[in-house]
Amino acid sequence: MANTIDVSGKIIQALADYLKRDAAAIKPTHHLRDDLGLDSMAVIEMLYRIEEVFNLQIPDQDLVGLTTVGHVIAYVEGRIAPAPAKAAVKKPAAKRSTKSKKA
Amino acid sequence: MSTRVVITGLGVVSPIGIGVPQFWKAALEGRSGISAIPSFDPFPLEGYRSRIAGRIVDFSPDQYLPAGQGDRVDRYAQFALVAAKEALADADFKMDRKDPHRVGVIVGAGMGGMVMGEREITQLYEQKRPHRVHPNFIPVITLNSASGIVAMAYGAKGPNLTISTACSSSAHALGQAMHAIRAGTADAVIVVGADASITPLVFAGFCSLRALSTKYNDAPERASRPFDRGRDGFVMGEGAGALILESLAHAKKRKARMYAEVAGYAATSEAHHMVIPREDGEEVATTMRLALKDAGVTPAQVDYINAHATSTTVGDAVEVKAIRLVFQSRADKLAVNATKSLVGHTLGAAGSMAGVVSALTLTSGQIHPTLNLDDPDPACALAGLSKDPQTRKAKVALINAFGFGSNNAAVVLKTVPS
Repeated sequence: MANTIDVSGKIIQALADYLKRDAAAIKPTHHLRDDLGLDSMAVIEMLYRIEEVFNLQIPDQDLVGLTTVGHVIAYVEGRIAPAPAKAAVKKPAAKRSTKSKKA
Repeated sequence: MSTRVVITGLGVVSPIGIGVPQFWKAALEGRSGISAIPSFDPFPLEGYRSRIAGRIVDFSPDQYLPAGQGDRVDRYAQFALVAAKEALADADFKMDRKDPHRVGVIVGAGMGGMVMGEREITQLYEQKRPHRVHPNFIPVITLNSASGIVAMAYGAKGPNLTISTACSSSAHALGQAMHAIRAGTADAVIVVGADASITPLVFAGFCSLRALSTKYNDAPERASRPFDRGRDGFVMGEGAGALILESLAHAKKRKARMYAEVAGYAATSEAHHMVIPREDGEEVATTMRLALKDAGVTPAQVDYINAHATSTTVGDAVEVKAIRLVFQSRADKLAVNATKSLVGHTLGAAGSMAGVVSALTLTSGQIHPTLNLDDPDPACALAGLSKDPQTRKAKVALINAFGFGSNNAAVVLKTVPS
């Protein structure tokens, strides 16, 4: 939960800084172009900053779906979410095991 | 009636061939000059979203130029020298018989001396030894180094200019050379377009701009696909094109072979955005109309368009919108092709290469194919586009070139006046 708030907050703050607006005025539902007035170049510049903040690279083909503030938040959350832990496999105690271990 | 201007010589250095015969043969055969970039050593290739370009491989200036002539200039200027040399020989233009002050050089270049430029910048910032910056750094990166060295190589002492308007640079060079001859300030102009900036920083810059194709890194020859639904950005290229322009009287007097007449030109700014064209196509349409008006031709008289056609999603669609605005019902009767589908986007050289192609098209009646037009995008479909070569007795050609900085050019060529 703390991670989600951080991502959203950081992205909205980055937008606010770029647009020189109050962060409270920027909502996840806002359309980057139609509501915030970002042309395609401005979107690229914004995403460049976000890449820097979150230390990630956004491939060109992922840009297409990033049309609202919420899309950007969801995308970054998805990218930085920790990989799911592998399911634990119960093994018999090592001393009693008669099977050879895999390398 | 203003002085008429003709093209008497052609030269080219390109990813599909060095020299017009090799280039033109490859163009008509539909060969792609796009290949994988092997390395941007010492920078990791993984840091580049696009990894392909229209490269000129294994180029050595000494193969084409007198020993040492290319030593003190950067790669783009070496290309310019080679292309100019071919064009002058093709025109059988003997400088020693000319008044040198009546022969000008106008070069179009977008990025200039970036090979040495980036190297010196990197070394300075890494090593922090300013006294070790190479003494030739400034002469190499100054953007008029190509026009300077071409003039020096041939003793051309007339108007010597460099035009840098990004992707429209050498289309403007062509047009301004036409103006210089019309104005009587030169009898002949060596027009060159050149760029060679497939370099770590410039290439990274275009990657960061999200302007380059990234979907076809594993299939480089499929990447430059203007007007196709699968296009996803341009492919950088490098090279040079050269054209010798003369007044008609000057060419006739020495019985020069003439390829075509440079009949009209327009230069405009959209005054809109540094990198995004106006989506309605109105400004681009204006540029085309002004060029046609300058040439004294109507849209109905145009047969062929060498499109700017960079393979970007927005740009190709805007260009076709503009073509339809200007030509209306005739738009689908024109033959149209995209040279960048073969060689990539050679930036400052693009306009001059379009000039070379258009001159050859008017002379030969042959139109090279537009590669990778597998699934034409309905948003920018034109009946006259073809992935196969075409033949057509074209009499009037229109060249489009639209540069970053909202900088648009259009040039009109006509078949040689009888």
